[in-house]
Amino acid sequence: LADEKPPEKPPATDLVKLTINGRTVYAKPGTVLVEAAAEVGIEIPIFCYEPRLGPPIGACRMCLVEVEGMRGLQTACSTPVAPDMVVHTNNEEASTAQDGVLELLLANHPLDCPVCDKGGECPLQDQTFKFGPGETRFVEPKRHFPKPLDLSTVVALDRERCITCFRCIRFSQDVAEDGQLTFQERGAGTEVATFTGDPYEGRFTGNIIDLCPVGALTSIPYRFVSRPWDIENTPSVCGHCPVGCNVEITQREGEIKRVTGRPQPNFKVEEGWLCDKGRWGFPAAWARTRVAQPMVRNEDGTMEAVSLEEAVDAAARIISRSASTAILVGTDATVEEGFLAAGLASVIPGGRVSRMGIPENPGLDALRALPSAELGDIDGADVVAVAGGDISDQHPIVELRLRKLTRRRGTLVVIGPRPQVMASRAAESVRTPAGQLSVGIPTIAKTLQGAERPIVIWDEADLAKEPDAAAELARVIATSGARQIELAAHVNSTGLRAIELPIESPVDAVAANAVSTLITVHADPVEAPGGARWDDALREVNDIIAIATHRTHAITHASVILPALMHQEQEGVLVSTTGRAQRLRPGSHGPENAAAAWELLIALSHRVGKPLPWRTPSQVFAAAAETHAALDGLSHDSLGVLGQPIKRTTATSPAGTLERREPAGKGLPAVFTTEIFGDNTAWRSDAVAALRTQAALRLSPGEAATQGLTDGQHVRVTSPFGSCPLPLIVDEALPDGAAFVMTGPPTAGAWGLMDIDHGPVRVTLAEVTT
Amino acid sequence: MPIVNSVYRHREAGKPLVTLADYEAAGGYVALRKALTQMDPDDLMYQFHRSGLRGRGGAGFPMGRKASFLPKDSPNPAYVVCNGDESEPGTFKDREIIEFNPFQLVEGIVMAGFAVGSRQTYIYIRGEYEHQARVLSAAIAEAREAGYVGDDIMGSGVNCNVTVYRGAGAYICGEETALLESLEGKRGQPRLKPPFPAVAGLYGSPTLINNVETLAALPPIVDRGADWYLTMGTEKSPGTKCFSISGHVVKPGNYEIVLNQTTLRELVFEHAGGLRPGREFKACWVGGSSVPVIGADKLDTPLDYESLQEAGTALGSGGCIVMDDSGCIVRASLRLAHFYRHESCGKCSPCREGTMWMEKILQRIVDGDGRMEDLQMLENLFPRISGKTLCPLADGAIFPIRAAINLFRDEFERAVEHGSPRPEPMMEAAVG
Repeated sequence: LADEKPPEKPPATDLVKLTINGRTVYAKPGTVLVEAAAEVGIEIPIFCYEPRLGPPIGACRMCLVEVEGMRGLQTACSTPVAPDMVVHTNNEEASTAQDGVLELLLANHPLDCPVCDKGGECPLQDQTFKFGPGETRFVEPKRHFPKPLDLSTVVALDRERCITCFRCIRFSQDVAEDGQLTFQERGAGTEVATFTGDPYEGRFTGNIIDLCPVGALTSIPYRFVSRPWDIENTPSVCGHCPVGCNVEITQREGEIKRVTGRPQPNFKVEEGWLCDKGRWGFPAAWARTRVAQPMVRNEDGTMEAVSLEEAVDAAARIISRSASTAILVGTDATVEEGFLAAGLASVIPGGRVSRMGIPENPGLDALRALPSAELGDIDGADVVAVAGGDISDQHPIVELRLRKLTRRRGTLVVIGPRPQVMASRAAESVRTPAGQLSVGIPTIAKTLQGAERPIVIWDEADLAKEPDAAAELARVIATSGARQIELAAHVNSTGLRAIELPIESPVDAVAANAVSTLITVHADPVEAPGGARWDDALREVNDIIAIATHRTHAITHASVILPALMHQEQEGVLVSTTGRAQRLRPGSHGPENAAAAWELLIALSHRVGKPLPWRTPSQVFAAAAETHAALDGLSHDSLGVLGQPIKRTTATSPAGTLERREPAGKGLPAVFTTEIFGDNTAWRSDAVAALRTQAALRLSPGEAATQGLTDGQHVRVTSPFGSCPLPLIVDEALPDGAAFVMTGPPTAGAWGLMDIDHGPVRVTLAEVTT
Repeated sequence: MPIVNSVYRHREAGKPLVTLADYEAAGGYVALRKALTQMDPDDLMYQFHRSGLRGRGGAGFPMGRKASFLPKDSPNPAYVVCNGDESEPGTFKDREIIEFNPFQLVEGIVMAGFAVGSRQTYIYIRGEYEHQARVLSAAIAEAREAGYVGDDIMGSGVNCNVTVYRGAGAYICGEETALLESLEGKRGQPRLKPPFPAVAGLYGSPTLINNVETLAALPPIVDRGADWYLTMGTEKSPGTKCFSISGHVVKPGNYEIVLNQTTLRELVFEHAGGLRPGREFKACWVGGSSVPVIGADKLDTPLDYESLQEAGTALGSGGCIVMDDSGCIVRASLRLAHFYRHESCGKCSPCREGTMWMEKILQRIVDGDGRMEDLQMLENLFPRISGKTLCPLADGAIFPIRAAINLFRDEFERAVEHGSPRPEPMMEAAVG
């Protein structure tokens, strides 16, 4: 590479000119030598240097280089460029030092590379190959430990492989700020450990595996699963929450083996970090409830396993003879699938389409009409306010951005009804009474005054329930000139809204027997708000055609089951909560008899004799972009690897005020939370089995006493829309006067406490007697 | 030759100065009164600077210059930190100051605090110095009671508090940035420099950090003037220095000598009473265990910074370890390698792995499993470790062993061939 000299950049006034290995380099002031050299293709070996972990610490000494005029060698990771600096990264002195550091690192490093998961994709191997000694002079026995140590149920620690680079420690201390990891012992006996000796548990622990430059920290689900030369890596997007973290999927022979952060992160979104659910949610692909077999219901009512072809034919026959067909699109569906569902509905007799999710309302429209920001913009903000939601559980990666904000002494203000992890780091935090976010909005307004680059983050699910607060917040944001970030409630609700898929639920038509066939696309209306109404309505439908990845309640009534692919197995576009359209790329084949929902929808259109004119997701997306202003100008190609923001099309004046919406029913106002390891993904993935949390009712000690309930009891929670039994957890962190419902997986029935519009409800509580 | 008990004022007084009354009777707190009532911080800084006093912890950096690096316009408070983590093998000079003359140290610290505008100062004391920490705390309490520490010192309106903080037993915490980490409650490991402590030290604030002996030297300098201090020693090594002498000598102990006016021979053979009968001088680590070992040919070197450097070693902390011809230089080197391996904090790869490797190689040689190429390999390893780390611990591990192999190569070669037999017991003559 060094021979292929790119043309030297023209000198700019704000750039520093220096010489590295005889080549002229221009760099911004403050750039460290490692980066300046990388700009022109000169690699300086590193281990501990990782700018995402904060300032350099210069511990590993791998990047020693000679700077003329400076005494001794300098660490290139911590030495900033200076005018006319002359640097040698590969002369004899620097090379000897680099070779020396590697020889010393390898002295105590076991050479068990043939059985090490990192072997073949190991920076220590690579650096040794490029910069290290050809042979070892170390003849003494190396250090041994009983191996391996389970740092948690998902991370294994092989202590003897550790080269003490501090990356995992710095992640724990300085990025996730969980304060758990530390070194114990010292010198050559130094080991990674937790302060307390307890397992390292949290929401972001898996990142230390990506950070580890050797095989000391490995993923237990990936342990001994594959060799790097047998795998294929594919950049894709996490489909387990609406944040849209960019991921890298590892497959071996068509089966997904691993999900990691991207080596080239998307700094607008996840910055290379992943939450543990996103990292270890992929085994949901072979959950017990995975739909892998196409089925058709016989005339006698029994289900028969058939080929996918036969199942599609059966479905097409049903649609062809049906007078009216409703297609219900779930919030996991991709943009293409939503668009195709609408396309199919427009060509079949009596066709209609709608999507699940939270309906628009004037409050949400007012907020969405305001200038928006991306997660990466938080790094440039001076004041950030968070209204409602529960970032740590529902949009975890956002928490790391907020921690970064407070580390650089930006101002954070948090309001909402739930206990918030970030409240302790906030300049101000207001615990608003359930259903009264407006109580906290003056605090936000006050904090935004005088802010130069403020951002307001708001939760879709919470503000949908409170139009008055939404309108007020929109006014505050507009007055302050802040930008807003929406925390969407569902994976691709932003994308389905962008293609203007109707939200009006067909439930009433279904209940009135006006719909003879229902096609569900990644949708289960029964295990969602309004589930009880849907449960009744489904009895009136002649046929249900279920396009699904996992067994759900609705599937039990289905006439035809068409197994679909999960996000990690298919192509398509998801639009993140901040409106960034990003491409899914298949990182795995999926079950043999399954097909992507987009493919099934196209096949159905052909079989019913009304072929839709597209053959690939790329063509479908192009057609969607042509007809929907939000996607104007976008295509699969233009999205590339990092995606593109969609255009904002909501244009509602945020000027008005809106009426407060009273919660339906009587009793305590309910606050809904889905814990990070309490949703479908966590309950389907064995990898996080030990971390799962169940659906539960949480009450403050005072409220539990008022209700005459005690911790551990099973309580029937009843709203006007549904009812479910939940175990009671008495939680001192909670205020009186509200029922906090941990939804758990949808099968628990807690979602059914809400109506289809996700509106606010009150619930009554009664002990379950057996 | 002369002994001047400037820092060891208690020796002049002939008794421990552990009560305020005794210290005042011995001329204590005259200097602080002078500083607070007749001088302003700039005058004081000038006196420090002019005296040429060099840091007594080991590096020998001029104290006045170091103090002048503290930015005056920092929004953060300034701190003075006294380094009392005396852990260098063979060094116990600070222990005597703390134990028998604690008020002078406290007086010096308050003086430095006044000079750099620090209202809060800390004494970081070695964990093993439990008794000394008690003596020091009692002295500070008494001084505070009498208005020499705390708010409005001697009615001058100057506030300066002194707090004792005990380490937990780590050599590395004598390194100034590791000390600051430890003082902040973190794991004691050196920081990347720059920024230097003067700019961003304790809690990211400007910090003056000096050794016990350095700060205890300030009251006499202020009392009698920097010019008096300059009459002693040489231009680059003015003043007095405490030497701890230990090992194969008849009268081990601390001796405060005037720099340059005493030779190593005088220190060993006159002050320390010479060697045991019938023994010959073999080697000496003159400035603590981290300096290159020297042999008998250097006995006539005057004890000062420049002369010792010229002789191929360093004044270091002044912890002079003497070995006579009964000692085995290979085993001594192994013992030192063991110490540095044990005390390496583990942050920098070369030191963490290098000290471990060196000990293993030397152990092999001592056990009779050595190979001739081990000596070349050690010499090849030294430059790959030394100067490649954040702090000088690795250098301290290399210097004495590299010098030992150079100076006593025949002994190492003999050990490679035959192993190194256990030496005879160390102390056979009564210590006088």
